[in-house]
Amino acid sequence: MNQECRIGVYICNCGTNIAKVIDAEGVRNKVADLPGVACARTYEYMCSNPGQEMITRDIHEHGLDRVVVAACSPRMHEPTFRKALESAGLNPFMLEIANIREQCSWVHDDRAKATAKAADLTHAAIRRVARHVPLEKQEAPYTPVTMVLGGGIAGLTVAVELADAGQKVHLIERESRLGGNLGRVDLTAPYLDSARDLLAEKVVLAETNPRIDVRLRSTLTDLMGFVGNFTATVTHQDGSDTEIPVGSVVVCTGYREFDASRIERLGYGRHPDVITSFELEQRLRSGKMETADGRVPNYVSIVHCVGSRNAKYHTYCSRVCCMTALKYGHEIKSALPRAMVTDLYVDMLSFGKGGEDLYRRTSELKTMFLMFEKEDYPVVRAAEADDDCGLLVQVHERLSGETIDVPADLVVLMVGMQARSDSDQVARTVGISQDAEGWFIESHPKLAPVSTPTEGVFIAGCCQSPKDIPDTVAQARASVAMVLGFIAQGKVEVDARFAQVDGDLCSGCRVCNELCPYTAISYDPDEGRSEVQSALCKACGTCVAACPSGAITARHFTDEQILEQIEGVLAWSTSQP
Amino acid sequence: MAIRANPHLIDELEKYGAQDVVKCYHCGNCSATCPFSGEVFVFPRKSMRYLQLGLSSRLQGNLEPWLCYYCGECSEECPRGAEPGETMMSMRRWLTARYDFTGISGLFYRSAKAELLAIALVAILTGLGLTLFGLAQGNINVYDGPGAFLPAENIHIFDWIMAGVLVVLLGINCVRMWWYTVGSDKEVRIPPGDYLKQFFLVPWHFFTQRRYSQCDRKQPWAVHLVLMLSYLTMLILIMFFLHRVQHGPDIDWKVHAFGYVAAVGLVGTTIFALAGRVRKTWTHYKHSHETDWIFLVLLLVVSLTGIAQHVLHRGGWEVAANIVYIAHMMGVVPMLVLEVPFSKWSHMAYRPLAMYFSTLREKVLLAEEKTEPRPQSAAQTA
Ligand SMILES: Cc1cc2nc3c(=O)[nH]c(=O)nc-3n(C[C@H](O)[C@H](O)[C@H](O)COP(=O)(O)OP(=O)(O)OC[C@H]3O[C@@H](n4cnc5c(N)ncnc54)[C@H](O)[C@@H]3O)c2cc1C
Ligand code: SF4
Ligand code: SF4
Ligand code: SF4
Ligand code: SF4
Repeated sequence: MNQECRIGVYICNCGTNIAKVIDAEGVRNKVADLPGVACARTYEYMCSNPGQEMITRDIHEHGLDRVVVAACSPRMHEPTFRKALESAGLNPFMLEIANIREQCSWVHDDRAKATAKAADLTHAAIRRVARHVPLEKQEAPYTPVTMVLGGGIAGLTVAVELADAGQKVHLIERESRLGGNLGRVDLTAPYLDSARDLLAEKVVLAETNPRIDVRLRSTLTDLMGFVGNFTATVTHQDGSDTEIPVGSVVVCTGYREFDASRIERLGYGRHPDVITSFELEQRLRSGKMETADGRVPNYVSIVHCVGSRNAKYHTYCSRVCCMTALKYGHEIKSALPRAMVTDLYVDMLSFGKGGEDLYRRTSELKTMFLMFEKEDYPVVRAAEADDDCGLLVQVHERLSGETIDVPADLVVLMVGMQARSDSDQVARTVGISQDAEGWFIESHPKLAPVSTPTEGVFIAGCCQSPKDIPDTVAQARASVAMVLGFIAQGKVEVDARFAQVDGDLCSGCRVCNELCPYTAISYDPDEGRSEVQSALCKACGTCVAACPSGAITARHFTDEQILEQIEGVLAWSTSQP
Repeated sequence: MAIRANPHLIDELEKYGAQDVVKCYHCGNCSATCPFSGEVFVFPRKSMRYLQLGLSSRLQGNLEPWLCYYCGECSEECPRGAEPGETMMSMRRWLTARYDFTGISGLFYRSAKAELLAIALVAILTGLGLTLFGLAQGNINVYDGPGAFLPAENIHIFDWIMAGVLVVLLGINCVRMWWYTVGSDKEVRIPPGDYLKQFFLVPWHFFTQRRYSQCDRKQPWAVHLVLMLSYLTMLILIMFFLHRVQHGPDIDWKVHAFGYVAAVGLVGTTIFALAGRVRKTWTHYKHSHETDWIFLVLLLVVSLTGIAQHVLHRGGWEVAANIVYIAHMMGVVPMLVLEVPFSKWSHMAYRPLAMYFSTLREKVLLAEEKTEPRPQSAAQTA
C-alpha cells in the first residue's frame, strides 16, 4: 500500500435515496482509518455546489491527492467530480466513484447487509484510487471536410447546408443519380406537394455548388483514423479507389422496401394487378393508372402494414405508409374520379401536423376503411368471371366482426421500410452498431439522436429508423449542427483512456485486430506488431483480455488497478463462502 | 362465408338522407349513450359500420333502426359529427323501401318529384272520380241525407275497399320484413310457441309506444303519441261511424266529441312538428328529408280540409262543404294509398313488429348465451 497517498473519502446520502437503506455514517467510520485515508466525510448531496466545495476545500486544507466519492453511478456524476478535482488543481483521473446507490441502496433493503456492501465498495474504490496515475488529455486537429454517404433527401440536405455554411463536402452516392427513394415518390403527404419539386431544387444545388464534390456510382469502402482525422477510401464503379481525408462522416444511406412477395396470401408476383406502393407512385407519376390488361380500374384496394408490425416480418411500424395510403386516397380519386378506394388498415397512424386532417379529408372522399388484425393479412384472389372486378380481397374486418370480400381491380401494398441489405457492411466500415432489425443505433434515443458511439460519425434519415421527410430533414440538419460544432472548435479532444500495445511484448499475432469492435487496432507490417489508434479506442478492454502475450494495457484499467479493486471488495468478507 | 362489400351502398343511402356516415370512426360513444341500446341489440355503431362497408344483406336483416326512436342523444355525443341518429332514420327509410315488394317506396324516397307526381295523380283521379260520381247520382247542393252529393254509405264502401287493398299491400311487406329479419336467419331459430306467446307485444307497442316513453326527453314521445292516437281515433270514426260523423247539421256529441279532440290533436301536433323542422329545434328535427315535409304538409291539408268541410256543413254552406269534401278526399286518398304501404305511415306496422321480432330473437340469443357463453368481439360489444 502506497503510504504516501492522501485520500479524501466522501459518502453521499443522496437525500434519502441512499440514506434510507445505508448508514452512511457507519460506512464512514469503517473506512476512515484505512491506510492512506486522510479524511472521510458524509454529506446530503455531494453533487451540489457545497458538496463539491467540500472536496476542493479538503484538497487544499488536507493536501489530498486522490478522491473517492461513494454516491450514485459514475455515469451520473463522474464528470462533475472530475471537474471539481480539476478546479482544485488535481488531475481529474485521481478520482474513483463507488456506486452505492444503483448497486446498493436501490437494489437492497436489508440495512445492515447493504451498509456492509457499501463499505466494501468504498473500500475497493480506496484501494483502486491509490493506484491511479495522472493521465493527460490529448488534442488533435480537426480536418474541416465532411463526407456524406448517401444522396437521398437526408444526404442532399446535409451536403447543401454544410456547403452553404462554407464547408467542403464529398457526397458519395452509389446509384447513378441523386435523390434516393424520394425520387420514386409522386406527391407527398400530408400537404400533397410534389416530391419532384422538393428534390429537384436540392439536387441542382448539390450539383452546382463548387464546394460539393458529388461522386455517383461510388461508395465508402474503408474508414481509418479518428474524429477530425479520418481517411476515407471511396471505391468507384470502375474499381478505382480514392483516399480522402475528412473530419466527420454523416451516414445517410436510407432504407429499402420490404419484399411483398414474402407474404404469399397478398398475391404479389402472382396477380399482375397486385402492386407495391412504389409501383403505384410510378403509375401516378406517369399518369398511367390502369390494370395489367389496360382497363381503367373501378376499384382500388390499399393494404397497410405489409411487412411491418408483424411478428413474422418486422415488428416495428414503418411510420410513413399510413399517411402515404391516405395520400393515395386523394391521388387515386383525382386520377380516377369514379374509382372506389378501399383502405385495409391495422391502426390508422395519421400522426402529427396535418395528419388527422388528411385522414378526415380522405374519409370524406368516401374511402372505405376496413380494419384487420395485424397478424391476419387479407387474402387476395382472382374474382369470378361474372364479377365486376378483377380481384377480391378477403378480410376479417374487426369493427364489424364480419368476413368481407372487397372488390378490387388494383391492389396496392403499403410495403414497409427495412434496413438496406448492406447496412452491416456500412456499419462495420464506419464503426457503428445496428439494432436487431439492422437500423443504425444512435448514442441516445432522445438526447443524442444523430450521434453514434464513434465520434465524428453521424447518422441521419431513414438509415437510423423509418421516418418521414420532415423528420429525415430535421435529423440531417441536426447532424450539420454537430459537424459545424467540430469545425468551429478546430480541434478534438481525445480521451485519455485507451489501450496501449507494448511493442516489446507484442508477437504480431494480430488476434486483437479482428476483435476490436471499433477497428482501433491496425497491424504495422514493417514493425511486425499491432498498434492502437488511441483516438479510436474506447477502452473497452476486449483486446487486453484477448492478447495471448499480455502485451496490451488499458490506461486507467491496468491489471494492478483492477486487482487492487478486487482485493478491496473482498477484504472484509473473508468469512463469506 | 364472406360477404361482399359494396362501396356504392353509401351513395344509395345518401338519397335516403344519410349524410355523414363516412365520418364515423367507431369510437362507440353513440352505442354507449343510446338509451335503447341493450344486451343483444347494441346500436347504432354497428349499423354505421354495415353502412360504411356496404353490407346490404346485414343491413336488410337489421332490426335495430326500428328500435331507435331518434331521441338524438347519439348524434349529440358523436365526436365526429357522423349523425348516427339521422343515419338510423335514413336506414328506416331504406328498410321501408327494401320491405316494399313493388319498388314504389324506393322510388318515392329517392325522388321527391316522383312522390309528388304520384300524389298529384292520385289526387286528380280521386277528385275527378268523386266529382263525376257525385254529379251522376247526387246533388251538389246536398251534403248528407237523400240525394247527397257524396253519400256516406258509398264513401264508406269505398273506404273499406281501399282499406282492404292497403292491408293486403302492407301485409305482404310485413311478411317480407319478417323473412329478412327473422325468417331467413338459420342460426337463430325461434320456437313457434314464442311467436304466439309474445304476439301481444304488437298491439301493446302499437297503442302505448311504451319504448318511446323511455327516452330521457318525454316531449317527443308525448307529441308522437298524441298524433298517433288522434289519427287512430279519426280512422276509427271514419271506418266505423262515417254516417254519424257526416250526418248534420246537429252535433252528435257521442262521436263528434271524439272527432274534435282528435282534430285538435292532429292539427296541433302537425303544426308543432312542422315548426320544429323549420326552426330545427330538436336534434331529430335538424335534418329533414323531402318525404318528411310531404308527410306533414299532406297531413295538415287533410286535417284542415276535414275540419273545414265539417264547419261549412254545420254552417249551412252545403255546396262549399261538398267542394271541400272532394278536396279533403283528394288529400286523404293519396295519403293513405301512397303513404301507408310505401312511405312514412308504414312504420305504424314495422315498429311494433320490430319490437315483437327483436324480443323473440333476444329471448333465443340470451338463452343460448346462458348455455354456452360466446366470446364477444369488439364488434359485438359496441
Ligand atoms: C411509398 C413511399 C411513399 C412515401 N411518401 C412520403 C410522403 O408522402 N411524405 C413523407 O414525408 N415521406 C414519405 N416517404 C418517406 C420518404 O421516402 C423518406 O422519408 C425519405 O426518402 C428518406 O430519405 P433518406 O435520404 O433517409 O433515404 P433514401 O431516400 O433511402 O436515400 C438513401 C440514399 O443513399 C444511397 N445509399 C445507400 N447505401 C449506400 C452506400 N452504401 N453507399 C453509397 N450510397 C448509398 C441510396 O442509393 C440512396 O440514394 C415515403 C416512403 C415510401 C416508401
Ligand atoms: S405507418 Fe401505418 S401502414 Fe405503415 S407500418 Fe405503421 S401502421 Fe402500418
Ligand atoms: S480496448 Fe477495446 S476499443 Fe481499445 S483497442 Fe482494445 S478492443 Fe479496441
Ligand atoms: S359516436 Fe358513433 S357514429 Fe360517432 S364516431 Fe363514434 S361510433 Fe361513429
Ligand atoms: S337516436 Fe337515440 S334511439 Fe336512436 S340510436 Fe341514437 S341514441 Fe339510440
